[in-house]
Parts: sequence; C-alpha cells; structure tokens
Amino acid sequence: MFFTPMIPRFFRLATGFTVGCALLLTSCLDKEIAFKFNLGGGPSTTAATSVVRVHATNQGYNFVRPWEKLEASRRSGLGPLVAGGRVLVTAELVVDHTYIELELPDTGEKTPAKVVGLDYEANLALLEPIDEKKKTEFFSRMQPLELDLSAVPGDRLEVWQLEDNGTPASTDGTVIQVGVGRYFVDGSFFLNYVLRGSLQYRTSSFTLPVIKEGRLAGLLLSYDSKEQTSDVLPAPIIEHFLKDLADGTYAGFPNLGLSYAPTLDEQLRKYAKLDGLEGGIYVRRVSRDGAAQQAGIQADDIILEIDGHPIDSRGNYDHPKYGKLNFSHLVRGDAQVGQKVPVKVHRKDQELTVSLELTRKPPTAYYIDPYMFDRGPRFKILGGLIFQELTLPYLKAWGDQWVNRAPFKLVHAHANQELLEEKEGGKLVILSAVVLTPATVGYEQIGNIQVTKVNGQAIRSIKDLNAAFAKPTNGVHKIEFDDFPKVIYLDARMAEAVNEQFGSRLGIKTLERLD
Amino acid sequence: MMVRIAVQQHSKFMMIPHPPSFVPRVLALTAALFVGASSVWAQLAPVPVPSPAPAPAAVPAPPAPVPVVPSPQAAPAPADGEAIFSAIVRVENQSWEPNYRVPWNSGGTGGGVGTGFLIAPNRFLTNAHVVSDSRLLYVKKVDDPKPYEAEIVHIAHDCDLALLALKDPSAFETVRPLRLGGVPLLNSTVIAVGYPIGGQRISVTRGVVSRIDFQSFAHSGVDFHLAIQVDAAINPGNSGGPVIQEGTVVGVAFQGYSGDVAQSTGFMIPVPVIHRFLEDVRDGTYDHYPDLAIAHFNLQNPAQRKALNLPNDGIGVMVSSADSAGSAGGLLQMGDIIVAMDGFPVSSDGFVNMLGSRVNMNEIVERKYVGNIVKLRVIRGGKAMDLDITLKRFLPYLIQANQYDQKPQYVVFAGLLFQPVDRNMMAAHGVSNLNVRYLFNFFSQDEVYKERPQIVVLTDILPDEINTHFDLFRQQAVDEINGKKIRSLKDVHEALQNPAPPGGFHVIRFLGEGRPMVIEASRVAAANQRVAEKYNVTEDHRIGDSVMAQ
Repeated sequence: MFFTPMIPRFFRLATGFTVGCALLLTSCLDKEIAFKFNLGGGPSTTAATSVVRVHATNQGYNFVRPWEKLEASRRSGLGPLVAGGRVLVTAELVVDHTYIELELPDTGEKTPAKVVGLDYEANLALLEPIDEKKKTEFFSRMQPLELDLSAVPGDRLEVWQLEDNGTPASTDGTVIQVGVGRYFVDGSFFLNYVLRGSLQYRTSSFTLPVIKEGRLAGLLLSYDSKEQTSDVLPAPIIEHFLKDLADGTYAGFPNLGLSYAPTLDEQLRKYAKLDGLEGGIYVRRVSRDGAAQQAGIQADDIILEIDGHPIDSRGNYDHPKYGKLNFSHLVRGDAQVGQKVPVKVHRKDQELTVSLELTRKPPTAYYIDPYMFDRGPRFKILGGLIFQELTLPYLKAWGDQWVNRAPFKLVHAHANQELLEEKEGGKLVILSAVVLTPATVGYEQIGNIQVTKVNGQAIRSIKDLNAAFAKPTNGVHKIEFDDFPKVIYLDARMAEAVNEQFGSRLGIKTLERLD
Repeated sequence: MMVRIAVQQHSKFMMIPHPPSFVPRVLALTAALFVGASSVWAQLAPVPVPSPAPAPAAVPAPPAPVPVVPSPQAAPAPADGEAIFSAIVRVENQSWEPNYRVPWNSGGTGGGVGTGFLIAPNRFLTNAHVVSDSRLLYVKKVDDPKPYEAEIVHIAHDCDLALLALKDPSAFETVRPLRLGGVPLLNSTVIAVGYPIGGQRISVTRGVVSRIDFQSFAHSGVDFHLAIQVDAAINPGNSGGPVIQEGTVVGVAFQGYSGDVAQSTGFMIPVPVIHRFLEDVRDGTYDHYPDLAIAHFNLQNPAQRKALNLPNDGIGVMVSSADSAGSAGGLLQMGDIIVAMDGFPVSSDGFVNMLGSRVNMNEIVERKYVGNIVKLRVIRGGKAMDLDITLKRFLPYLIQANQYDQKPQYVVFAGLLFQPVDRNMMAAHGVSNLNVRYLFNFFSQDEVYKERPQIVVLTDILPDEINTHFDLFRQQAVDEINGKKIRSLKDVHEALQNPAPPGGFHVIRFLGEGRPMVIEASRVAAANQRVAEKYNVTEDHRIGDSVMAQ
C-alpha cells in the first residue's frame, strides 16, 4: 500500500515551497476560519495552545565501520502537549537523537528536552524539558490535550499544522479505514487509521497531531501525496503506551511468536478436518520460547478463537467498533504483557483451549537484532580483524537493494534466523572485514563470514571473543569459520602490538564495544 | 561486460544478448569464494604457456603437396594472403531456442552466422557457441554461393570449441587445411579472418597480441582457461574464425567486451587449449576438463606457518575444502598442506615454477585429461604423505553453467509447473526466493547435491479451480511429497502419479514453508485435463538427467 515514510515526500515538497508560499498561505487561512466554526462543543484547544515544535538532531551509527557515527541530520515535527508537562511525538522523529529542542509556536522560545519514554515498535516517544523548572513554566500558557479514543471509519478528523509565524492551520480529513499496518521498524504491525484528505507542506511536519473535537485522536505517520491519504498512529495505541509508562516500569507491547497462513483453501480445510467449522488460521511456525510455544501451540495447529473472539479464515475478528480487524490487534496493540489469553485450537481431530500468557521478545533477544538505535553495534578489532554481531541494520547498510547486494549468506541467514536460532542460539558473530596489517598479511580478501570458534571455544556473542582470545596456543590464535577459508591463525603478540598502533596510524580510537 | 562475439544475428547487428551483465559478476563471486570449483582459478597471473609439440595425431598432417585453391602456391605455408581464405568458411546456424517459461512448447527458432576453418580433411574447427542449440548447419566457402550441410562431430561447451564435418566433403577436397602454430609473442602482429558484421564477404582485421592470461569463458559462464587478448577488431560473426600469424593459426576468435565497457579487447582461444580439445576427442568422445575441485588458502601469514609447524620457506598452501564429488573428495582433507604437485614445489601463493614460468598450480591439472593422475605431496598432522589423485570431471558446478542442446525438464500437475533448478531456469523465471537462490548458489560449495541432486521448484501456476489458493507457494523449492523426500524431478513425477495417496490427499511440503500444499487426489484427473486443454500443455512432463548424472 503506501507506507511512505514522511521524510522523503515532505522534503521533496520543501524544495519548491518558498515560491508558492503566499498562495498556499491564503488558502489555508480560509480553512483556518472554517475550522474554528467546526469546533463545536469540544475543548477550546488549537495548535497554538496545545502543540510545540520539536526539533531533533539525529545521528546514527555506521554499522559497516562500527567505531564511527554517520553524518548528523535534523528532523522537525509538531508534538502535542499531554498531561504532566510532556510532549508526545513519534519515536522515528527522535531516533538516534543527539539533541532535542522544544519550541513554543508563538514566541519561538526554545528549551532542550530529553526522552522519558520510548518504544520503537509502537513508534512513540514522550519528551520533557531537561530543566526541571521549565516543566511547568515553559508550558504555562498552554493547555494539554486529552485523548480521543472514539474515532471510527467515517469520522472527520483534523490534522494540525503551524504556519511559519506560529499561526495554527488545520486540514480536514475523513477516516476511511481502520486496520493494522506497519509503523516504523520491520515487523511492527499495529492499529492504524487511514485518513483521506490533501495536506500541504509546512515546516515541522515530520510528526503532526490528528485531532477529533479538540482531543488527540492520533499522530500522523506518513502522507501519500498521490493517493492523498495519511496513516495515523491512533489514540488507543498512545493510551496503551502512556498507561504502561505511568507505572514506572515499561513493559511494551506483547508478541505472540507465530506465523500463520489463511485457511480459505477448501482442500486444506478438508485435509485439516475443519468441515463444519468456520474460520481459523493455520500455524506455519512458532518461535522458540515465544508466547505461543510456551502455551503449547504447535505448527500445523489451527487457531479458531482468541480471547473469545472467533478468528475468520483470513485472520480477522469482528471488532465492535472497527469491524473486521486482523487478530494481531487482540494480542499486541490491545493487550498487555503478562495478560493471560484463552486460545481455542483445532489439532488433528480435537479441539482444545490453551491459556496463553503474553510476553514480549525484545530486539536484543533475536539471533539477528531486527533494529538497533541510540547505541552502536557490538564489535571488536584485533590485529586488523574486525568482528561484529550481525544485525539487520548491518545488512541494510547495503542500501534499498540490500537483499540483493549484501553478502548473500548473511541475507540468507537473516531470512532463516528462526531455524538458526533454534539450532545455535545466542548471536551470529561475523568477521566483517580485514584491515591489512602486519598481523593480517594474506587475509585481506576475506570478510563477511560467520565465526564459529576461536581457540577451540564456540562463539555465540561478541563477548565470547574476549574470553576465547585470552587463551592462544603457543602465542597463536586459531579462528574458525563456517565458510572459506575455514581457519586462519593470528599471532597474539603481534595482534596486540597492532592494536596499540591503531589509533595513531588509522585514527581508530575505539577498538571494541562489547555491551 | 563480456559477451560472446557470437553469431551475427540475421535480423539485427548486435552481439548475442546472452545474460551479459550477469556473467562476469557471478564468476567473480564464484572465484573469490570457492576457487577450486570452476575449471581454473580466477585470479591468475599472465601465464606464458610454451607452445606444445606439433599437431597431435588427431589432426593428421596436411597431405603435401596439395594444390591450393585459388593460388597455385604450395608448401611452405603461405603468408597472410588469399591462399588461406579458401579454408575459412562462413558457418550458418539455424538454431532452436528452448523456452524455459513454457517448457512444453517446442521453443523459438533463431539463427546466426559465425566463422570456421578447415584444420584436417573434412574437419572444421569453430566455436561451440556458433553451433549450439543447432537444428541445421550450413557452411559456405569463400566466393562460392552454395551452402554445404554440416554436422557437429564434437562439441566442448567448457572451452567453447566444436569440430564440424560436411555431409559431402567433396567441395573441400582440394583445399589445404590451415596449420596450427604456437603461442604468439606479446606485441607481435596477428590478423583475424572471418565473416563479421559489416558485409557478406570475408573480412580481415589486423592487430597485436595485447595480453596472455586466464579468462572466464562466457559461453558456459563458469569455466576459466588460458586466452589471448588482441587489439585486432573482433566483432560479432568473427567467432570461430582463425587468428593467424605468419601463415599459421595462433587462436580462434571467440569473445570480447562490448564497446561501452572496453575498447579493442578481443579474445582468442590459444593453441594449447585447441590442442587439448583435439587430443581429448581423439578417442571419439569428449571427456571434458577434469577438476581437482578443492578450495585452497594461501599460507603467507607467519602465524599460519607457525601454528602449522611449517618452515619459513614460502612453500605450501592449505586445503580449506575438498568437494566430496570432486577428484580429491575423500582423499584431501581440510587443513592438509599441499607442498608439491607432480613434483613441482607449490609456493605459498599457489604457484609453481614450470618450464621456466611461474604459473598457477592448477595449470598442471588444466593440461591433463579425465583419468590422468596428479601426484600431490601433502603434510597432514605434521607428516608428509604422497597422494595419487585420479582426475575426473566436477559435475555440481554445471548447475550454474549455461546449458545447451537440452530440452527443458518439467512436470505439470494440477496446473502446477515444477522445474529443476539450473541457470537457464533461474534466469527465465527470475527466481528471487532466497532459499532457492541459496540452493542454486551454494549447490557445490555447501554440497547441497548430497541431499538434493536435483532441486525442484514450483516455478509457475496455471490458474485453475484446483490451485486457486496456491500463490504463496510460487517459487518455493519442494521438500517432500506424501512424506517422501524429493531428490529429483523424477521423484516429484512418481510421487504424484499415485492415484490414491494416504487419506486421499497429495501433501506437498516446501522448504522453509510451514503450511503444506494439499490437493484432493480425486480432483486431479479432471483438473489435469482442463489444464492441458485450456493452456495447450501438449505433454505433462519431460524428465531427463540431473547435472549430477550427466
């Protein structure tokens, strides 16, 4: 569909914007008047009273040269003020941030801010001024927004923006669909509203508040200028995030740990002896130690009901407000970690109900980390050999075409990581590259191969390397790989000597990051 | 990118667009990762190969003196001139192009023109790619409009050479065959003669020998042999033609780069490779190049030598793998140090000093034939030992080679098209499934063939009510059918022939896919009939050998 990230489109618009500014401004002032009439009986909030500009400087790590950071860039969005003197934005706005500023729309007054809550999967972040005193002072003339959880298809919502001079602007749109869609990181499928209505480019539009009758109905995630539709991260997910944060320990959104296929195929239904039953989804695979596996759900099972809701053969259930909705909302967006959910399963000839306790698998628990932000990749340099734990961002460093451009075996390992995880556990450690040094003569052509053992010890994490490198034989390290050339040797003393010169000769000061 | 200077297309003046951009990249990758898998290592230094002994008996010495047409000159061999032209023929190929997307169709027809030359009575040498996939071959003599029907006597796709004979050789009885010379010196002048684009009549271009080095041979896409680069213009249609120096043939023009990649770089197959081909077919069959099929790693790091207890004498390379289906399978082990090959000391970069030149040690194998022995001295566990390795052809690498003169294999069942994985199929269907690409790319390196000599993929679905929910299985590799592991296309065909599988369902499991494909056996016959009629599937299967059985 149109999971276009906000940045490119808006940035593209930005280049030609100044010229057409006056014209656009006139038309949106008209809308502003219309909007005020629309307000009706809701709270008297506007973008001017309840929204601040959020400026973030983002700087990610270089996953190919793990001792470096990439070039810094900037993003700006509008963050609604919520209860407690905090500002809500998408996590994507503040990803890998080095510096965050809040700016009042009218006076332009700024204050540095920090992140007090963050979830990259739900794509939400909560900010507050760093300066304790500013927490109340800075927002003293402003009014926090309450959440509106009521939006349903057909509702008219407003997208709030600000003119450069601080004047609020609002654009109407209609909710045309409520479904489950991808947010920011891979695999993050959550509830979203699809809003139809054309939006204009204005500064600070990376994240925009979406409003229903003066209350916060969601955050705008992306806008497709061709289709004139937007994806909106809805209030029910925001509420889950804020409630979870409120108790001091953030548990996040659970995941089920299974993949499924529809059961529309009559032949499959007959084969699975589903005749006479309705709906159900086919379990293709359960992840190791995931909630589904813990509850005893197996591959080839057919899930008929979750938490009392019948699941149809496409994987949808009947949501009281939204109609047909993918079942993942039941166990992820609308569920809590630790919650017990009854799941009715059809297995061979019998039906059984298991009690499934929802858990969350953090990114660090994956064999290959699916995402990694606000920190650098784990690595170790010894004598010119560069070791890393394989992560998805490492593969994505090969660009949009990474599936075809990144080292094939590593891409294949990523695609099959659930199987490998079951077999090997831990992390996949690679020799990512070799810098030619006196210790690595003859090895300069090898790289991007999995390290299996060092000095006889199995390597399941970058930390294992340090323990293993403590035990060379006769002053020589033996390093083994799953692929050509299978084994190399490294002179222990020479490697140490090379390491000591790395900073002065190559400008590489950080030689390892183990945590 | 490297393209075959092939057969000039009748319709358009273009080099044959045989996956050109695809070829060198794959080769580079293969070479870097698994040096032993293809016939020759990739990164070889220029290898001046001494010219071998005079023509072997396969090429009987030209009967002398022979009246040469049209010039009355007799021996000694004429200098570059008209006399030799009558031995140089235009080869016209009416070819058949298999259709891997609709494999039951008879395929398209094509045609092209190349060059060939008489090297012995009724024996014409040309490139394999000039006469590949041939239905009908004609040879035309210079200044003689009559086409003479020819047939292939021997064809070697791995070194891109072929030997033709005329059904009626009488027209060439008085023509004196060209003689093979040696390896020309760098910077010496040569001429290329043939029938390239630009006109109908014979063409001569002149240049010098620019480089003598190993090259990938684009015809198979996976083989490396010695080749000579010349700056004489070599254009489409020159393929198979002689490159001549002082009246003798010093090579067969065969490939080059298209103009947007490099200028004035044409390549010819040199005499040592030609001799090897002629010698190989002397017994009536072509046995192909044998291969050690090992990957070795240089021993240039002092720590390696210390750990392996090797003296610091710059001798020896380490075996990192010996393919079990290769000549050295079961004989060489990972970690063995090869210190000598056929008595030549192997230096730590894998080179040997042979006949006064430093050449890659694989050059020793390159000169041998299937069934020959190569003697290795290895150090294993600190002890020296001698191994006699009988050379054989390495079959698994063929899965990545361009295949010719073969009809595509397939099974159609309930509208599902199953095909074995090979390079032709992968290219025709643009397979992107990662598991299938892995099995294809690492078929030899990871010895995939042990478990699956032939990998079978659901390449397409001919829509019918029986398969309407099967789209998610497209491009996946078949793992098992009705509980039986699938090792070949024949297994697929046989398993699906069963009219009454357990429970009345055919259950097909695909690699890495948890959801089975289930087909009601009772519905199959009717579906097969519908599919055959609607989609004009004239035969529901064609099953041949796997590359492992070739």
